[in-house]
Order: sequence, then C-alpha cells, then structure tokens
Amino acid sequence: METKINSIKTQHNKKAKSTSQTRAARVFLKGDDLFACSRCGTCLSICPIYKNTLNEGFAPRGKLSLIEAVVNGKIGFTDKLSEKIYTCTMCNLCTTECPSGVKVSELFRAVREDLIENSKYPEVLDYLKDKIEKAYNITFDTNQGRLDWLKQVPDTDINDYVKPTADVVYFVGCVSSFSPRSFSIPRAIVKILKKADVDFTLLGEDEWCCGFPLLSSGMKEEVGALAMHNIEKVIEKKAKILLTSCPSCFHTWKHEYESLTGKKIPFEILHISQYLLNLVNAEKIKPGKLDVRVTYHDPCDLGRNSGVFEQPRQLLKSIPGVELVEMQTSKKQANCCGGGGNIESLNQALSAKIADSRAGEIIDTKAEIAVSACQQCERTLATALKKRKGDTDYKIKVMDVSEILLESLEG
Amino acid sequence: MKEEHIEYLKEAIGQERVITDLEDKICLGYDSTRLEYMPDVIIRVENSCQISQVLKFANEYKIPVTPRGAATGLSGGCLPVHGGISLIMLEMNKILNVNEVDLLVEAEAGAITIDIDKAANKYGLFYPPDPGSLKTSTIGGNIAENAGGLRGLKYGVTKDYVNSLELVLPTGEIINTGAITVKSVSGYNLVDLVVGSEGTLAIVTKATLGLLPVPKARASMLANFTDMSLAAGSVRDIVAAGVITATLEFLDNVTINAIEDYLNVGLDRTIGAMLLIEVDGYQGAVDAEAEIVKNVCKKNNCTDFHLAKSDEERDRLWSARRAALSSLARVRPSTILEDATVPRSRIVELVEAINHIAVKYGLNIGTFGHAGDGNLHPTILTDLRNKEEGKKVEKAIEDIFVKTIELGGTLSGEHGIGLTKAKFLKLEVSEDAYKLMKNIKKTFDPNNILNPGKLFLS
Repeated sequence: METKINSIKTQHNKKAKSTSQTRAARVFLKGDDLFACSRCGTCLSICPIYKNTLNEGFAPRGKLSLIEAVVNGKIGFTDKLSEKIYTCTMCNLCTTECPSGVKVSELFRAVREDLIENSKYPEVLDYLKDKIEKAYNITFDTNQGRLDWLKQVPDTDINDYVKPTADVVYFVGCVSSFSPRSFSIPRAIVKILKKADVDFTLLGEDEWCCGFPLLSSGMKEEVGALAMHNIEKVIEKKAKILLTSCPSCFHTWKHEYESLTGKKIPFEILHISQYLLNLVNAEKIKPGKLDVRVTYHDPCDLGRNSGVFEQPRQLLKSIPGVELVEMQTSKKQANCCGGGGNIESLNQALSAKIADSRAGEIIDTKAEIAVSACQQCERTLATALKKRKGDTDYKIKVMDVSEILLESLEG
Repeated sequence: MKEEHIEYLKEAIGQERVITDLEDKICLGYDSTRLEYMPDVIIRVENSCQISQVLKFANEYKIPVTPRGAATGLSGGCLPVHGGISLIMLEMNKILNVNEVDLLVEAEAGAITIDIDKAANKYGLFYPPDPGSLKTSTIGGNIAENAGGLRGLKYGVTKDYVNSLELVLPTGEIINTGAITVKSVSGYNLVDLVVGSEGTLAIVTKATLGLLPVPKARASMLANFTDMSLAAGSVRDIVAAGVITATLEFLDNVTINAIEDYLNVGLDRTIGAMLLIEVDGYQGAVDAEAEIVKNVCKKNNCTDFHLAKSDEERDRLWSARRAALSSLARVRPSTILEDATVPRSRIVELVEAINHIAVKYGLNIGTFGHAGDGNLHPTILTDLRNKEEGKKVEKAIEDIFVKTIELGGTLSGEHGIGLTKAKFLKLEVSEDAYKLMKNIKKTFDPNNILNPGKLFLS
C-alpha cells in the first residue's frame, strides 16, 4: 500500500506542475453558481468567522466575490486569497441559509483544490499531508499505536477486539485513537458493544485516516488510496455494518467514499449514535435512570452535513430521567463549536472565540451536561466552558453521547 | 490617492487599521446592488475622533470618503464610486444603554439592527423599524437610508425613531444634534435632515433611538384572492374600517408560483394575490380587529381565509412571505429589487402597470411588498450578464418609475436614491428643489468629499 500512496503523490505532483502553468481552475466551471450570489449579506449574520472578526474577506459573501475576481481575471491565486479562503470552519451554515441557494461550500472546496494545485495553501497542510502519507494518521505516532487507548486498560485481551471477521467494524478515527483526552469515547463504545453482545471488531493498525482532513483542505486526489484501503479492510472482515464515532469520518465514509473510489460499498455505514439507538430499540441494552438536564450540540458533519439530527436526541430521550433542552440554535441552524476546518491550527484565538459563543448558548440552557457526538466538538466546548467557569454557579460537564449512555447502563 | 496620503493615514490612525490589499478592496467594493467600485484604501475606525481626523485630512486634500456599514443597501449608498477612502463602521457597534423610563436606546452606528431590538426586548420594549436585512444591517446604515420594513403602516420607519445623533461633519467637526425629549423645537431639525441623507451630509457615529412597549397580543391572518384588485379592495376597506394593521403584506401570482416551485408548501398557484395581515395590541382589541379584517376580506370575496391559532401556525403563515425574495432569487441568476411606492389607493394601478411593462419587455417580474403603506417590491428576474436583456431591464425600470410618479408616488420608499436612481431623481423633484438640495449638500460638504456621486448626477 505504501507504494500506492506514493505513486498517487508523484502523479499528483506531476499534474500540479502542468496545470499550474495553465492555471486550469475548477472555479472557472462554476460561473453560474458564483453569479447567483446577490450579495444580500444574509451570510454575514450567521457566519461564525465573520461574526467574530467583522472582516468581510472572511465572510462567505466576500469569499465568493474573491472567487469571482479570480474567474474574471482580476486576481490570481494569491497568498491573501488563500488566507481568506482557508479561514473557515467549514460548518456549512452559509450554504444552508443562503436565500439564493448558492452552493457555497462546493465553491469553497473547488477553490481550495485550485489553491493546492497552485501551491498556495497554509504550510500546516504540508505537515498534515506528510503525516498521513507516512503514518496513515494525523499524528506523528506510527500507526501501530492505533489501539493504545485499549491496551492501557488492564486485563484486556486484544484478540477480543481485533478479530479476523465480525458483523460490525468500529472505525475509531485518528483523534479518538491517538489523543488521550478522547480515549474515553472509544472505551465507552466498546464497553457498550460488549454489553449488547455485538459481534464487532476494530481494524487496529489497518485503520487508516479516512482522508477527511485532506479532502476538506482541497487535496482530494490523495484520498482515493486511503478510501480504497479502508473499504477493502472492512470487506476483508466480512462486516455488514461499519460504525464511526467521529462525524467527519462518518461524513467521508457515507458521502464521499463511493464517488472517490468509484466502488459500491457493500455494507451499511452508521454513526455510533444511530447504531446505539438501534440497540436500545431492539432492547439489546436498557438504559438506567439518570436525573439530569442535558442539551445536545449538533456536530456540523453529523447534523447539517449528513442529516443526522434526530437519532442522537432520541437516544438521549431513551434514558429515563433525562430532560433534553435545546440551545438557541440547533439542528440545521446549530452554530459551530469553532473546532472545524483546521481553523484551530490556523487561528487558535479565533477558534476559541467561536467556541466561547457556543459555550454561552450552552450556559443559557442551564443544562448540567452538554452532550455531543463528536470528539472534536466535545474538546473545543469543554475548553471554552472551562474558561467561562465564573459565569455560572454550577458546573457543566461535556460528554459524548456514548459516554452518557454508558453511565446510564452502569447505574 | 497618493502614496504619501496613505502613509499619513497609516501614521495617524494605525498601520493595522489602514488597509490597501487588493483582495480586501475587492471584498469591500460591492453592496446588495451587486455593482462594484473599489476604494483606494480601507480604514477600519473605532471611534469618532478617528473619523474626525480622517475627514479633516480628506477635506484638505479633497479625497472622497464613503462610509460603509454591513453593505446590504439596495441603491449603492456605500459604494466608493470615486475611489478614495472606504470608512468601515463595523467596529463601532456598542449598544450603550437602554432607558426604560424614557423609552430610549443609545447605540453606536455599527450596531446591528436586530441586536438593538434584542437589547430592548430585555426590558419588554422593542425597536419597531424592521427592514428585511435587520439581521445584518447596521443602525448607521438604516439611518443613512431611512430604512423601512414591514411594520411601516402602524409603526412608521427609521426617521420616526431617531431622537438625537452624534455626527462627524465632512469638515471634521463632531456635533450632537436633536434631543432625547419627546418634544423639541430648538432650531432647524438637523436630525431629520441627516436621516435618509445617504451618507452625503455627515457620518452618523451614535444615535439615541425611541422604543415602544412590546404589544401584549397579536393575530396573524392570511387571505387569498382571485385577483389583485380584490386584495387591494380589502386593503382599502380594512383601513376605512378604522383598523391600522401592524403588517399588511401582499404577494402576487408570479411570487406565489416562485415560492411553490422552490418550497412546495401547498399554496394555491391559481390565485391572483395573497394578503398577510397582522394586528397587535391588547387581546380584546386584537380580537375585535381580527374580526373586522375577516369580514372585510370575506366581503371582498376572498377564496380562503386563515387565522393563526398558535405561534407555530403563525410561523407557517408567514413562511411564504419570508421566502418570497429568496424564491424569486432562485428563478434567474440576477434579481433587481425596486421599491416604488404609491398612495395605498393606487396600488392596483401600479401592479397592473408593472404587469403590463413585464409583457412589453418580455421580462419576468414578481411583485410583493407592503400593501398597507403602498410600498411595492417589483422584482425583476434576469441575468445581467446578458447585455441585451440588461437594456430591457433598464427601460422597464424607467417605465415603472414614470408610472409611479404619475400615480402620485415616490421613486423609493425605503432603499434610497443612491447611485442607481440618481438619474431619475428629477422625475420627482422639481428643478428648484433639486438646486436647494444641492446647496444644502454644499453647506455641509463644501469640497464634495463625503460619499460623492450619490443622489445627484455629477
């Protein structure tokens, strides 16, 4: 597989050279879409980046005007353009709310691909690409470390978790596999799966990055080999269902892999919140009582971008005693946590400001627990709530939907 | 602009506040007209003193200065047509205080309209003007354009709520004008002169605005009619019956069909017009007024009448009106939104004339708007990249304006003259009045540096 990835890389580099001379831009094909933006400014009232910077160049309307300027030959693929285009959480709220129906995020992805071809992109993406190409994950750890979160649990027989075949494959995702702060999520999930007697397996070091960070950065061509590898590994397990706990992995698997590989995926793809609800409904597990007020934060890639709004909520409501209260913005209109689109590594202060706004919405609900279904959202929100400690006289805990379910099961 | 001028401004206002990058200038060179004019330099100001400094300098060297809020204007008010300085007001966005006894709110010019309303809501008060862009637009922009909205008939427009202003004059002086009292007759009413002056006389930096108590109850109604004249008859009869509705909106057949194409919410595609009516006040009054509205609509042969029984139902009734512009916007790439306004009694004639003009030029025009105050929004659906069609659009707009004036109306109810209607101003304003307006401009701005190229043909 090493060679496959490398060959794609070289191919890509070759191609980049020839196209950058002609600057054959994808955005040129999007004239009509671009022209449909009426500059009405609706996006200014919702874009988390604009609201926190008041900088039109970071607003969807501004970015579209810049892309149009590229198409009209007023500017080239400049560093300034790149900085503006990449300053985006990719929360996609602008696309949902645009009165003229402009497919904003599609245009942003096209221009990112152009920027990559023209070698105008943030340096941090080179490190990211390098990491994924060398170790198949987004950290500098080798991929052998994929199961460290599990190995650290005493009395664990790894053969119970990595089996030659199984009905269900759980795709843990890079962050939950390598970031100790998120280990509690996969640990909770495997515990629940065991309790429900699910025949499941992990992929261990055969799990490669799903490719989402590259895809959203405009490096689509690098992702095909990753996708192909992951699909093949799940097929080898003879699995009927693939589970992910990371919404971005879910989105990529569910909505990108088939078109990236041209391959029909022969198994079902579910986010863990959907699968856990199925287990509850089939009475494979029975949640116990938890008297607590919770609110649910919709991760952009699970909610708005994949259409999964109800199942995580139903799962929470299946726990007796749980009172679910909605935030000021929720579901399709839910605000971003500030952790999307690499913005954290590009502009940490801005990411923190966006997270702080969302933390305010959480505090307003007077919930004791803020539940989400994404390791990234949970980390960003927990950090923001910690900084707001003085604002409330009670402590708000941040949990993954699987963690709160496990707590209810264990009583 | 000369390089040394930009260097001076950087020195005076701060390097990071004075921006000359091409990419930024592109992003600040448009508004909702979609016309494009780039400034030479962008200055992000945070207080009146900086604005004063900029204006003094600009006045000395005759550099054009154009203030810019959220750029949601529909007449080109914030476009720097002669280049120069684009003055970004967005950072001056503080809402300074709400006075619940005097029913006032004080805010900086860059504050977002809806945020002012929200601040008032905390005290059981509200800020009545509600332009379509209120979630994005700044109060400074609303004041400059004298923005209207849906509640005009009962609650008036921006000018009815501006008590006092802090202004920076084109020559750099900072003045306070108006009074925070209900009554005041001390000298010329400069507040009303500046409201609606489209940023040509002074830069508004702070405003004290009037508020009202939030009505205790409201009732929302929807009525369908086979043709526009029956709907207009209802509008006339509702007012004649002594009911001043909070909103009285209408949608024409083209608009209804565009909404149905986009949302498929089950509207009757065959009807000629739909009215959306809301009354508010004390419960007893609301009930009585709703009854009158219902009877009037029935008498005018409405084919369908609904009174919302809950907030959800109210939202549903209003969803069609809220989706009007975006549904029309999806039909063709370009949307030209006008705001010709006639006396309430002449609405039918204007709508008929617009339909006739659409046929004459082979254009698709949807009309909706504020039937209660005669403010229509004929919306031309086109593709401005097609030059030939663009010419027809120009002609159609001119025909609409000529007819509007003929009917005793006005070129612009709430969007402003700005750039796009400057060439039509003399249709409405006499030669002597035009001259007087120009002289007023000269008194404020002897060197014509503040937002030049607007209102008057240069």
